[in-house]
Amino acid sequence: MLRQRCGMTRNDPIKHFFIWPALLIVLVISIFPLIYSLTTSFMSLRLVPPIPPRFVGFGNYAELLQNPRFWHVAWTTTIIAFISVALQYVIGFSVALALNRNVPGEGLFRVSFLLPMLVAPVAVALIARQILNPTMGPLNELMTFFGFPNLPFLTQTRWAIGAIISVEVWQWTPFVMLMLLAGLQTLPDDVYEAAALENASSWQQFWGITFPMMLPISVAVVFIRLIESYKIIDTVFVMTGGGPGISTETLTLFAYQEGFKKFNLGYTSALSFLFLIVITVIGLVYLAILKPYLEKHK
Amino acid sequence: MSVRDLKGNGRWWALAGCLLWLAFTFFPLYWVTITSFKSPLGVVGGPTYLPFVDFEPTLTAWTELLSGQRGQFYNNFMASTIIGLSASVIATAVGSMAAYALVRFTFEVKLLTGVIFVVVAFGGYLLGRHVAGFGQATSLIYAFVAALALAIGSSRIRLPGPVLGNDDIVFWFVSQRMFPPIVAAFALFLMYTEMGKLGFKLVDTYTGLTFAYVAFSLPIVIWLMRDFFAALPIEVEEAAMVDNVPSWRIFFGIVVPMSKPGLIATFMITLAFVWNEFLFALFLTNSRWQTLPILVAGQNSQRGDEWWSISAAALVAIIPMVIMAGILSRLMRSGLLLGAIK
Repeated sequence: MLRQRCGMTRNDPIKHFFIWPALLIVLVISIFPLIYSLTTSFMSLRLVPPIPPRFVGFGNYAELLQNPRFWHVAWTTTIIAFISVALQYVIGFSVALALNRNVPGEGLFRVSFLLPMLVAPVAVALIARQILNPTMGPLNELMTFFGFPNLPFLTQTRWAIGAIISVEVWQWTPFVMLMLLAGLQTLPDDVYEAAALENASSWQQFWGITFPMMLPISVAVVFIRLIESYKIIDTVFVMTGGGPGISTETLTLFAYQEGFKKFNLGYTSALSFLFLIVITVIGLVYLAILKPYLEKHK
Repeated sequence: MSVRDLKGNGRWWALAGCLLWLAFTFFPLYWVTITSFKSPLGVVGGPTYLPFVDFEPTLTAWTELLSGQRGQFYNNFMASTIIGLSASVIATAVGSMAAYALVRFTFEVKLLTGVIFVVVAFGGYLLGRHVAGFGQATSLIYAFVAALALAIGSSRIRLPGPVLGNDDIVFWFVSQRMFPPIVAAFALFLMYTEMGKLGFKLVDTYTGLTFAYVAFSLPIVIWLMRDFFAALPIEVEEAAMVDNVPSWRIFFGIVVPMSKPGLIATFMITLAFVWNEFLFALFLTNSRWQTLPILVAGQNSQRGDEWWSISAAALVAIIPMVIMAGILSRLMRSGLLLGAIK
């Protein structure tokens, strides 16, 4: 920053050498295909059976918006994303609070809580399938003990969605925890000392001090997780394959089915752009709702 | 005893909660590990929990897997390793250079330049495709080159309109990560297929998948490394500049060695992301360069209830990352990544 002010290298042409490789790669690999697929989304283009491409304007989009399956899939994805992120936030915050308060064995907890994030989601889904097996799995044995044998964990809609949510919670709570813990450690001690002098209970301290001070980082973490959760495919792909029927199908999985199983290219391109719009709208609404709160606590 | 310590009962409740979460975290990993040592009979007979106590561990699944009786497992493992390592190395190198430039130099891009790029790229593609009658890939390449040339040319002349600074460029890079990957994966698949028709085979090749991963790791690398470089003391670099050391030598000779921990952490985070990635591999590969997650996902439909071998395959995908988690947490304890989280 200092150097920018004294202007010593402001016009050093070497800066182009530094930034262009990254710029070119992103332009070629992620922006350019987008142009291609955006134009494709206005065309009727199929590989199987092959028909010549035809310009249809917003035809693909209109067709999608009238397709009840699209709405169903968007709804399923929303349910999975919102419930799992809410759980991740509550659990992650609680554990982060505990770790921040020097629980015995805190160092060990910290290391082990990191693990789930780094395990491949497909592997997690395979393990979940074993644990949730309705006849040979350990969870079935536990439930049988309580008198509920052979529950349809993956073959009945409600259970299957619950199972997917639990896997998401298992895998991504550590991320929330890590970020919130880092935030908690930057909070100043003196505020708590003052609160302790006033005999504020822990409950009051949490809602009066910790929660408001953690609001900005909470908003950011929930935002990242929400956007990421909407992209879910691997877990669902392995655990239920979207079934039973299409009841656990998510947006990405739907796009995969249309694009890769039916080779309906125009339609799939339109679907992926609608998905982009859905995510953008949700992100903007989320930030708009929370903005007044963030400003109040500044 | 600081104000942060919990007193009395609260401490034990917190500990109990943490232990509960620990059990929830570890049970699936424990389960997959013991299952990989079970015999087929031991799996079908119902759940068993303790090796040597309620089942006799065997190495059947592992010997079958490692001897290659169960399909080409080495091939996938090598593909994952090669692509993972090279994509993370390239992404870390290219991304750190960009991040450094964005921290230490000022960039000014006119908004209009960006608009020109997008308009020319779109228009050129549509013109080439539907008016001039070029093939899809050819018109794509022409439009891209024309758009890039015009955008660079236009940045030389004075253009009216708002100017984008370094922060906007960083935001542009990072926002790439917000896109649902299906948009990019599907578009890339289409583009790679078109390139294939021109004779550049990109689907199911090393180059194709590696560069896709590089592009999609760059946002995170730039984000992490920018914070890291910004936290470095500038005095050392300034001293070197007074001595007229060229910028590229300052970067490679001084900055890179100073940022080794940050580079290592970023490299590992990228590697974990690429190693576990599923969607791009699903779209962009079909046999030769298929990565481990695809193999692991396929186990399910191929093997049905052969959990012992499924577990062993899943563990092969998990273990390298577990080792990395150990290294990463050690780096993290030294406060290395705190800067990245702010």
